[in-house]
Amino acid sequence: MTDLVKENILLNAVTSAFKIEGKVIRDRRVEVHADKNTVSSILLFAKKQLGYIHMNHMTCIDWIEQGEFELVYTIYHPVDKLTLFVKTRIDREIPVMENIDTIWDHANTYEREMREMFGIEFPGLVGEHDFILEDWDQIPPMRKEFDTHKYAAETFYTRPGREDAKDVREELSKRSGTVVPDFAKKYSRE
Amino acid sequence: MVREKETTLYIGPQHPGITGNMMVKLKVQGDTVVSAATHVGYLHRAFEKLIERRNWIQAFTLLCRFCVPEPDPMELTYARAVEELDNREVPERAKYIRVIVMELARMQSFMLWYAGQSGSAGLYLTPQWSVGDRNYILDLFEDLTGGRIYHMYIWPGGVRRDLPEGWTDKTLRTMDYIEKRLDEYNKILFDNTIFQKRAQGVGIVPKDKAIEWGVVGPVLRGTGIKSDVRIDEPYEVYDKIDFDVPTQEGGDIWARALVRKEEVRQSIRIIRQAIADMPGGAYYNKVSNPMKWTVPAGQAWAKTESVRGEIGFHVTSDGGNKPYRVHVKGAAYTHGVTVLEKILPGQNIADVSFILNSLGVCPPEIER
Amino acid sequence: MSFIDLKGMLQPLGAVKQLFKKPHTIQYPYETNKASDNYRGLHFNDLDQCIGCGNCSTICQNDAIDMISLDNIDGKKGDSGLRPRIDNGRCCWCALCVDVCPTGSLNLTKDYIFVTDNPNDFLLTPGLDNPDAKDRLSYTCDMNTSLSLYDRVPMRELDGKERVKSFAEVVLGYSEEEARAEADRCISCGLCTEACPENMHIPEYINAIARGNDDDALRIIYDNNPLPEMCGKVCTRVCEDVCALQVRGEAVAIRWLKRYATETAPTVEMIKEIVDPKIEEPNGFSVGIVGAGPAGLTAAYYLALKGYDVTIYEAQAHAGGMIMYGIPKYRFPLESIDKQIQYMESIGVKIKYNTKVGKDITFDEIYTNNDAVFVGIGLQNPWNIGIKNEDSPGVISAIEYLKIINSDETYDVGKKVAVIGGGNVAIDGARVSARFGADVTILYRRRVEDMPADWEEIEGAEHEGINIVPQAIPTRIIKDEKTGKVIGIEYLKAKMVAEDGGRPRPVAIEGSETIYECDTVIGAIGQQADFDWLPENYKEDLIIERGKIQVNDLRQTGVTKIFAGGDSVKYGNSDAISAIADGFNAVKGIDKLLLK
Ligand SMILES: Cc1cc2nc3c(=O)[nH]c(=O)nc-3n(C[C@H](O)[C@H](O)[C@H](O)COP(=O)(O)OP(=O)(O)OC[C@H]3O[C@@H](n4cnc5c(N)ncnc54)[C@H](O)[C@@H]3O)c2cc1C
Ligand code: SF4
Repeated sequence: MTDLVKENILLNAVTSAFKIEGKVIRDRRVEVHADKNTVSSILLFAKKQLGYIHMNHMTCIDWIEQGEFELVYTIYHPVDKLTLFVKTRIDREIPVMENIDTIWDHANTYEREMREMFGIEFPGLVGEHDFILEDWDQIPPMRKEFDTHKYAAETFYTRPGREDAKDVREELSKRSGTVVPDFAKKYSRE
Repeated sequence: MVREKETTLYIGPQHPGITGNMMVKLKVQGDTVVSAATHVGYLHRAFEKLIERRNWIQAFTLLCRFCVPEPDPMELTYARAVEELDNREVPERAKYIRVIVMELARMQSFMLWYAGQSGSAGLYLTPQWSVGDRNYILDLFEDLTGGRIYHMYIWPGGVRRDLPEGWTDKTLRTMDYIEKRLDEYNKILFDNTIFQKRAQGVGIVPKDKAIEWGVVGPVLRGTGIKSDVRIDEPYEVYDKIDFDVPTQEGGDIWARALVRKEEVRQSIRIIRQAIADMPGGAYYNKVSNPMKWTVPAGQAWAKTESVRGEIGFHVTSDGGNKPYRVHVKGAAYTHGVTVLEKILPGQNIADVSFILNSLGVCPPEIER
Repeated sequence: MSFIDLKGMLQPLGAVKQLFKKPHTIQYPYETNKASDNYRGLHFNDLDQCIGCGNCSTICQNDAIDMISLDNIDGKKGDSGLRPRIDNGRCCWCALCVDVCPTGSLNLTKDYIFVTDNPNDFLLTPGLDNPDAKDRLSYTCDMNTSLSLYDRVPMRELDGKERVKSFAEVVLGYSEEEARAEADRCISCGLCTEACPENMHIPEYINAIARGNDDDALRIIYDNNPLPEMCGKVCTRVCEDVCALQVRGEAVAIRWLKRYATETAPTVEMIKEIVDPKIEEPNGFSVGIVGAGPAGLTAAYYLALKGYDVTIYEAQAHAGGMIMYGIPKYRFPLESIDKQIQYMESIGVKIKYNTKVGKDITFDEIYTNNDAVFVGIGLQNPWNIGIKNEDSPGVISAIEYLKIINSDETYDVGKKVAVIGGGNVAIDGARVSARFGADVTILYRRRVEDMPADWEEIEGAEHEGINIVPQAIPTRIIKDEKTGKVIGIEYLKAKMVAEDGGRPRPVAIEGSETIYECDTVIGAIGQQADFDWLPENYKEDLIIERGKIQVNDLRQTGVTKIFAGGDSVKYGNSDAISAIADGFNAVKGIDKLLLK
């Protein structure tokens, strides 16, 4: 378990074939970082040549500060019982990614969801645009800048009768006549 | 034969069977399905988004709600992903407790499956029995966690409370009772010609396509492929426990039913062993103040075998006190969309919800 | 397989036999379902136990909890006066609120049926709306199951035997890791801020430490305390007495965390760089300050920042007042004081040392040459013990003794020392004597638990081998007839008598005279202010009652232009932080007077 032989063999196989970086995360977990254009070739290679025939998962992470979406493809070898993560980053401003539902049929569902929730386009993707959301007119909601608090406040009304709620910290400041300076407020209780 | 006119038929979005609110849009010719498309959107609660606004412990209370029939594996999978990121040891006793909870969760969920599977075949006695007997398992949960359906019990670092006094004895007694009841279920369901006729040869998932379609759990094992996270990538103390992973050939509803029928018994076996072997000691490796607890930056992928197959959590931390992203993948995500759409064509309308049930489709898990 | 499968058709019919079994679901006579012992039903809150910290409302991820004022509950120190109200339309019974309740007042009950046709009833104030639910508690949380972190990160200290060998600082301070862990325990309720005389922004700076932003922590601290290094080491920390965690466990080590933050800036330059104080343009007003104790220094610091021309007149050679000449150096080393004073001087505070007002300069001069005056003279004269032979050589007051030692002069206490008193000053006198190799005994009138000294100080003294004799009332000092020097002290043992349910008083037991032989008797039963320097005409207008100058909440005296603060005024607890609060508030007063 601890010598990670299988893991390193896998890592080498993928990184040397595509001249990319990667690492063994722990036993049974290997990740590689690919350019978005090579992702489908890596997935195909892993599936056909290495036996990673099962795709467990596909996910998207919005790194808003870096201006990127990170896509993670999680694939699995049922015999070796290894999991390979193929990770790539795409520009948040031009969120286009290759469609891979020809490699795994169920990628279609993930991609439809990502299209809807993150606004990522997958050229050639078949499937209705409204997957989970209906008549959605805001920005794709899983993007980090979508503020659920604000949306809820604008869309729904709050039940009456709770206006008398007080903030403990404020109440105490008021009572003792102190002012928490603005630069310190970010450390006050959330 | 006269070519019949094609009509569109909607199954759902009211519970088609008892799986939850979703809609399958069918094109049918006569009684035969020509094509099917899954529509979800009736249960979307944006949990994954809401979690990003909550801290690591607050988030845990939302997780169980991802899937109503089987909340516990969600808690466990999340806990394991977070523990991996945080390098947090879990006390041995907690691991055993977790295994027991997982298997009880599996059993209560099977009881619901019994109900759904037979109910959607028009056999209404089994649901009465199994849902009734499920309550005895829920009683155990209530004693253990204070809640019946949503337990909010397994959290990062261990479990929330130690076993109450006398709980293991009560559990063992319940196991004996359920074991006896299973024989009676057999008589009214598995030995029942009606059920056999309805299930055999229907809703076939082809063995050669199964893995590629992303099929997991009992559905996959029903095609003869032995795959179970509990043995493939053992977690908690499953590697110290003796149990079988049943498989069946055929890939039809019947095969899946037989797999499940055996799995309940395996669960009882696991619970008995876990209770016998459970060590004393701590049940929780306390995390820091929940409002301030931060988890080191990184990503973790944890998976757990639920009653419907593999549940995976992809958890990303940016080092803060809230999860940066939690993406949940339940078995139904593929079963309810890709697989369903592929195997429904050619089937009889009357079998649609029967098939839905046998695939273990849980709509809240699809849209979360 | 033929369709007629006899076994498969008949088997299910076997179910008919169930008809004759006892049903599982229906019971005759009717019984209600009993909820389990830790069922998560409606909330119950013990309103008396609750301190309104609001942690429940912070953790509730459903925003189900509001903190509201109730008619019959008033806020006080250590209680915000607010109580949780649950919106049961939102609650999901996760019970996190219970698991984070530091006092254990909030619990869930077995009540799971709640029917009403009035939607407003679902806003339930637990404890108020369901007082009887007290008997049906189910999901509760003790200190083991709680998510609160009740145990303080222990402070490393020199070993007791090691300590008495020198004046090396006893407390070693938190490491970064220890400080973060300790800061993590804080639940940010802010109850402490009300108890702190200076209302420091405690949750904020602790949270900054927890998040690893020590610079911000320091900046927040300096916002209203210019002597944090001193407070971090020796503050009386009344804040910790009301910490929400202290109800069941150990208070957050607020003082040590402040100390940690100040230790991240070990030089004057670093303090200046991090705090980066904004010094306003000179505003043309000047303020004269009498006494460079904490009160005077604080007023001077914030006045200087606001552009006032500030001069302090200090009788002694060093600034700091009692924190320089009273507090022993093993608690607050000289470098620390020097650093704090240098920092003040670096932002423009002028201090005239060795200038006793009334002797080296007249008060009139200060009064007429300045737009306002602040008086922070402290309590420089000790009270007498009031027993026979007190004037013998070998009897000394603690503050005199400490002043000698802190001025690096010598005083021989001999082999055995008796210290009279139970406050911090007594303990200081005792622990300093112990450092000169003396065998020390403290005689105190009441019980050990009644001692006003800080418990950590009492413990510290015990670890250093100091003997405490409680319930001992000194009656006379015994002197050597020939030399006149002290050779012992006689005391009576006392029993504690509570009259009319009041605080128990020590009453001497007749005939219990005991003699303790010793070379020195150190008296530490209190100090008083010295107003001899003040011209008579001011004394009247200032209004001095029971030895203390009377001031309003802006620390203004009976004379419009004169403000006062510190030990010599009526406010506060006679500790450094109260003196700081006086100085800080006087600045507001002076601002109001001069700038309007
Ligand atoms: C032994 C001892 C230990 C203590 N330990 C602690 C502790 O651990 N924690 C704590 O919080 N507090 C402690 N205190 C109390 C604390 O030191 C005082 O509360 C605090 O110093 C009061 O500040 P102040 O500014 O009012 O007066 P002081 O600190 O007494 O300062 C007054 C200053 O005014 C000067 N002065 C007086 N008259 C004149 C004059 N006519 N002309 C010029 N200058 C004059 C004095 O020389 C002195 O420097 C202790 C006190 C003592 C005596
Ligand atoms: S039980 Fe959970 S949801 Fe309900 S008030 Fe408490 S924290 Fe909020």
